Amino acid sequence: MQAVVVQARSGSVEAFAEVYRIYQAGVYTFILSQVREPELAADLTQQTFVRAWESLHGLRQAGAFRGWLHRIAANLVRDEVKSGRARLEVTVGQLTDDNTPQTPIATDGGPEDAALRSELRRQVWSALKSLPAEQRGAVVMHHLEGMPVSEIAQAMGVRPGTVMSRLARAREALRKRLSQYVEAEARDM
Amino acid sequence: MTCDQVRPRLADYAVGALRGRERARLLNHVGACASCGAELEALERTGALVSRLSLESAPTGAWEAICHRIRDEGGGSARRGWGRALAMAGVALAVLIVALITFLPTLQRESGSPVMPQADEDIQLTMEAHLAAVWSAPLADAAAVGLHLGSVEDDS
Repeated sequence: MQAVVVQARSGSVEAFAEVYRIYQAGVYTFILSQVREPELAADLTQQTFVRAWESLHGLRQAGAFRGWLHRIAANLVRDEVKSGRARLEVTVGQLTDDNTPQTPIATDGGPEDAALRSELRRQVWSALKSLPAEQRGAVVMHHLEGMPVSEIAQAMGVRPGTVMSRLARAREALRKRLSQYVEAEARDM
Repeated sequence: MTCDQVRPRLADYAVGALRGRERARLLNHVGACASCGAELEALERTGALVSRLSLESAPTGAWEAICHRIRDEGGGSARRGWGRALAMAGVALAVLIVALITFLPTLQRESGSPVMPQADEDIQLTMEAHLAAVWSAPLADAAAVGLHLGSVEDDS
């Protein structure tokens, strides 16, 4: 993956297309977790990659690309919120299916009922969106993208200990909000 | 540790935030306390549940829009990087040449070297002509130095 970033840095649009293919879902999902409107999330995703392309020559370590890319995305979200065009906080009362990603929750391939899976996905996303923005961002990067704490810290511009703390507080809140599903899962095991 | 001390730290343990002695003491308690053990399991199961969510792909056509914007801006990141580097090098070269033209005769005079006739006047005329004519042409610096050295050689 680093090789393709290096190629893109040297000016290859084809390599940057591959970079986009690899990272677009992570960036889009992260932004979608931060802003309410999918259209705005799509626009900010585009802006993130355009800005990354423009600044790529300044990236010293290709291995730091993902954290750097998410930093760009986070800054764009922050600017959007400052401008008043987007809101970071989504209260439970505002939740609708409009901005809930449509990808079904992953399963082990068992005969799980599709409606139940869909309901579970909706509940997990709802719980996620009830978190403060910083916690939400950390959870998406860690649990959905599999980013290590050090990389998330780079993306958020904070210390690794702060990321750990956000993840821990998020876990407590999610455990309370999803208790019904967590206990059902325990019974099924 | 008591349950009251352990409970607020369970989530920190679950995300890997605890180290060393505190981690060992918490594990010791959890191993012996069914209630705290069950709560830790629930926290870990919660993490697993969230991890099962899939990433959402950006809408189709997004890359085409990005590609369009990149190409519209007329050039790659790397090209812009080189352009900036060349511009900086040009500015540095110009500053160096002006400094040499300005200070070299003074240094020669102070070190006892023979002063060339009319050198100061020549430098001033050369500089004025250069600045008036070629502000934005980097190669003019080299031309100006050549002209100046030529006039100095002629005088000597």
